[in-house]
Amino acid sequence: MVRPDSPHNYPGTLGNRPVAVSFHAAAHYVSLRLLEGYIPNDKIKLVSFGSPRKRFEAMMNGEADACVVMEPWISLGEKIGCKSLAEGHYLGAENASDDMDPETFAAINRAVGRAIDMFNADKRKYLHYMIDEPNFAQVAARYGGISPEDFHLPRLRYTKDTYYSPEIVEDTYHWMVRWGLLSESACTADLVENRVAAPTPADD
Amino acid sequence: MKKVVSEISGIVFSIPWLIAKDNGLFEVEGIDMQFVRAQGDRENRVSYDPNEVDPILGHVPYEQNMVSIYRA
Repeated sequence: MVRPDSPHNYPGTLGNRPVAVSFHAAAHYVSLRLLEGYIPNDKIKLVSFGSPRKRFEAMMNGEADACVVMEPWISLGEKIGCKSLAEGHYLGAENASDDMDPETFAAINRAVGRAIDMFNADKRKYLHYMIDEPNFAQVAARYGGISPEDFHLPRLRYTKDTYYSPEIVEDTYHWMVRWGLLSESACTADLVENRVAAPTPADD
Repeated sequence: MKKVVSEISGIVFSIPWLIAKDNGLFEVEGIDMQFVRAQGDRENRVSYDPNEVDPILGHVPYEQNMVSIYRA
């Protein structure tokens, strides 16, 4: 995302220009995936500013040409005229400690799954959780605030736990190794224990 | 009720968890869910090198065994 008055209108002009991210977080990885399609690797200049608030403010005050943020910062930016140059999604997950037993983890997932059904049935009803978060609300107030009607609802995607295929694991592993984000000695089989069964192909 | 402490970081990642908590969905499953905020913004300096940034980020409560689950 770039400022309303930014000369950038697509990712291809961001070569050697500072892009605000948070290293080792989704903003870091998604920005590489988005920018590498437009810019040679050595011209991608990511700068870690930390939280979404700091990234958004770095973009607005000119410290960075662009920032990588998630909702509700995207909706706030779009409301005040900022331009989205590219948009990417990534796979999020729950990370539980070794001592959490499978029954408790399954019970949590059932509860969260029902909540996902509630959210998907009426998304705007629950956007107040983001709008009212103090750190965001403080910044949004400077720009006249934001309401549930300002959000693009299809962007908000919550799904129940799904099969994490070996192909996706392998593809992600090789991508991270190529960018130096993961040691080549790491074995994918050691990183992922699949507890959700693979979908069974339907008989034709 | 089994007590579980979960980390909350960016709200966008946790909306279903907040809905579940506020609507008693965890209680139905026998879970007493408690939330702890991640320690966001530990890094107060701008960095140009990923090697300078601790990849744990704000997930300190998890690393210190204060919570047993978080989202990323």
